Amino acid sequence: MATIQSTDLDFDTIKTNLKTYLQAQSEFADYDFEASGLSNILDVLAYNTHINGLIANFATNESFLNTAQLRSSVVSHAEVLGYFPRSKTSSRATVNLDLTVADAGRPSSITLPAYTTFTTSIEDVTYTFQTLEDYIATDDGSGNYSFLNSSESANIEIVEGTLRTKTFIVGDVSDGQVYVIPDDTMDTATMKVDVYDTVSGSSFTTYTNLTRAVRITSTSTIYQVKEVPNGYFEVIFGDGSVLGQQPFPGNKIVITYLSTSADLANGGNSFTASNDVDVDGTDYTLSTTLVSASTGGAAKETISSIKNNATIAFASQQRMVTVEDYKAQILANYSSYITDVNAWGGNQNNPPVYGRVYVSLKFIDGLTDSQKQNIKDQIVTNLTNNLAIMSIDTVFSDPTNVYLELGTTFNFDPDLTNLTTRGIESLVTNAVNSYFTTNLQKFNKVFRRSSLLTEIDKLSPAILNSKMDVKVQLRLSPTVGTATNYNLYFPVSIASPDSISHKVVSSRFTYQGTTCVIRNVLGSNVLQVQTLAGTALVTNVGSYTTSTGIISLIAFNPSAIEGTEMKFSVIPANESTIRPLRSYVIDIDSGLSFARAIVDYQNTLTTLA
Amino acid sequence: MPAKAFSIEDGDLQTKSIITARQRQYVDIDLTFTKKTTGEIYKKTNAAAVKQAIKNLLLTNTTEKPFQPYFGGDLNRFLFSLSEDFDEEDMKDMIAAAIQNYEPRVRVKDIQVLILPDNHDAKVTVVFQIISTSEIVSLDVSIARLR
Repeated sequence: MATIQSTDLDFDTIKTNLKTYLQAQSEFADYDFEASGLSNILDVLAYNTHINGLIANFATNESFLNTAQLRSSVVSHAEVLGYFPRSKTSSRATVNLDLTVADAGRPSSITLPAYTTFTTSIEDVTYTFQTLEDYIATDDGSGNYSFLNSSESANIEIVEGTLRTKTFIVGDVSDGQVYVIPDDTMDTATMKVDVYDTVSGSSFTTYTNLTRAVRITSTSTIYQVKEVPNGYFEVIFGDGSVLGQQPFPGNKIVITYLSTSADLANGGNSFTASNDVDVDGTDYTLSTTLVSASTGGAAKETISSIKNNATIAFASQQRMVTVEDYKAQILANYSSYITDVNAWGGNQNNPPVYGRVYVSLKFIDGLTDSQKQNIKDQIVTNLTNNLAIMSIDTVFSDPTNVYLELGTTFNFDPDLTNLTTRGIESLVTNAVNSYFTTNLQKFNKVFRRSSLLTEIDKLSPAILNSKMDVKVQLRLSPTVGTATNYNLYFPVSIASPDSISHKVVSSRFTYQGTTCVIRNVLGSNVLQVQTLAGTALVTNVGSYTTSTGIISLIAFNPSAIEGTEMKFSVIPANESTIRPLRSYVIDIDSGLSFARAIVDYQNTLTTLA
Repeated sequence: MPAKAFSIEDGDLQTKSIITARQRQYVDIDLTFTKKTTGEIYKKTNAAAVKQAIKNLLLTNTTEKPFQPYFGGDLNRFLFSLSEDFDEEDMKDMIAAAIQNYEPRVRVKDIQVLILPDNHDAKVTVVFQIISTSEIVSLDVSIARLR
C-alpha cells in the first residue's frame, strides 16, 4: 500500500499526493473528477494539510533570529541576547536662549524650568520642542540673561515631543505587577521614572535605566524598559533581592516621557518659545537664536537593523575591548546619527601609536560640526569612559574619502538592443554609480573590479565584453601663496614608474601665472610642477613611494587652485582590488569617470583592415 | 469459391465480444453519509455518482472550492439579487459552462430553468447523457431562500 506524502506545502501537490494514494485502491474511482464528492473530501484533507504545513513553517521561521519576520519575534530574540531595540527617537535642536529684563529690581539669576516648550513649523506642520532639564541664567549687569547648560555653554538642547505622564499604583507583590505604557510613540531616552512612597505623598525616588547602570546591588534603583509584542513598552523593576530594588505595594510610579513625531520633526530651523517667562510677576519674551537645526529624529529601529545589531551587541557583552565591541556599542546607542563606524588600534597606524583606539564615524547628512562634536563627546562620556579598558584613550579620526576614477570601455552590438550608443553608455554609468551606492561608501568595503565588470556584462545582451581602467584619487586643500610640505597617504601601493605613462597626475592649478599640473617624471618617482605641455617649472616638488602609497610634496606653493580642493590621481599597483584602510571610505568621482561604447557588429573579417 | 472467415487475431468473435468503450466504474462516496447497518457509509456508482457530482457542481458557489475560484455553478447568487427577465438564460449559460468545464463524463442535452421570484425560488432541470454508457439522466435541482 502506498504511503501518503504530506510534507509538501503546496495545496495542489498535496492533493495530487492524495490522489496517487487513492490510485492504489479500487473502492473509489471518482477522485479525478473535480465535482465528485471524493474530490470535495480531498479538498478538505489537502487544505488542512496545507494550512498545518504553512503554520509549522511560519512558526519554525519565527523561532530563529535570522529567519523571523514578525517584529515581535525579532525583538524577543534580541532581548534574549541582551539587546533592547531602539524606540522612536526625538529630533533635537540646539539654541541659545536669552532674556532681557530692564527692571531695576531684577533678580541676579533666573531659572528656566524643564519642559519649557518651543514650536517650529516644518512643511506647514507645527512641532513642539521642550527642554528636558532646568537651565539657569545670571544677570550680566545690564539686565541681559543668557541661559547656560551644566558645561557653562550657552548651547541649550531642545527635544521634540509632547510631554506625557503615565501613573501606576503598585499592587500586591503576589499579583505579579506588570507596567505597560500603551504608547508606541515614546522616546525611551526621554523617560523619567519616579517612584513615590505613597499615593498622595510628595517624597519620591528617581530610578535610572539599567543600560546606564555600572553596578547593581539589592538597593539599586534601576528599571528596564523593553518593547512588548504589540509595540508598546513595558517597564520592569528589580526583584528586591540582588537585581535592584522593587517598588513596594502602595507606592505610586509616575513615568514621564516625550511622545515623538520621530523623523518628521527633523529640519526645524526656526524656534519660538510658546510662553513668556515670568520674572517676579512680569512676563518677558524669551529670545531664541538657532545654533543647529533639529536632527536625529528616527523611527523605531528596523527589523533588519535589530537582526544585525543584536548579535554583535551580544558579542561585545556591554564592554569595549575589541574593535567589533566599539562598532557594536556605538552603533547600538547612536545609530540615529551615525550610519557606519570603524575602529582600529593605534598600533595599526603608521607610525604606530600605542594606548589609543581610533574611531571613525560616518555621520548622517545634515549634522553641523557642533552636533558631531557633541555626539563624539557623548560617546566618550557615556560609553568609552565606562566600558573601555582603563588607560586606553579614544581618538576620533574623520573619515577620509578615497575616490576612484573609472574608465569603462565596452564592446557593444547595436543589433542586439534598441538602445542607442549614448543610451547604453548612460545605462553603464548608472550601473556603476548604483554599484557604489549599494556595495561601497562604507568602512571596510572593498572595491573589486571583476565583480563590477560582471554586473556591467549582465546589463544587456548587447554588451559583449568590458574592461576598466582604475585610478585612485585623494584630495588636498593646499595653502595658497605659502610654501608648505604635504603628505598624501593612499591606501594602496602605487604603480612603479615607467617610461610610458605618468603614474601620478594632479588636477590643474596656477603656479606663477601659468596653469600647471603635478606629474611624476617618466621612469622616475620624482614629482614635478609641469605646464600642460609638459615643460617643468619646478623640477622637484617631491616624490612618491611605490610600496607605501605616500605622496610627499616639498615646499609646494600654488598661486591659485581650481575649486576648493586639488585632486591627486594615481594608478594603483593592483587595479583589480582597492582595499580601504582604517578610516578610508571608497567613493566614486563621477565627474572623472566615464563609460565608452565601441560598436562591434560581431563580423568575422577574413583580413584585418 | 473458398469460404471467407474472420481473422482470429482478435480472438473468437463468436464467443468473445470486442470491447469498444472504456469499462470504468464510477464510484463515489454518498455525500449524505448515510450509514449501513455494518457501520460503513453507502457508495454511489455509475449514473448515480455522476448525478451527485453535477448536483454538487451546480450548488457550489464560485470561490468556494480551495484554489479553484472559478469552480461551481454559482446558482445561489441569483437568490440574493433582484429578479430580471434575462436571469433564466443567464442561469442556463452558467450551468452549461460549469458542466462543460468541470464534468467531462457527460454531455448536456437540455436545461430547463423556472424562476419563481415571488416565492424566492428557482427550479432547474438538467438532462444529460453519460458519455461512457449513453444513458440519459435527468437531474432536478431546486434552490430557495431560507430567510
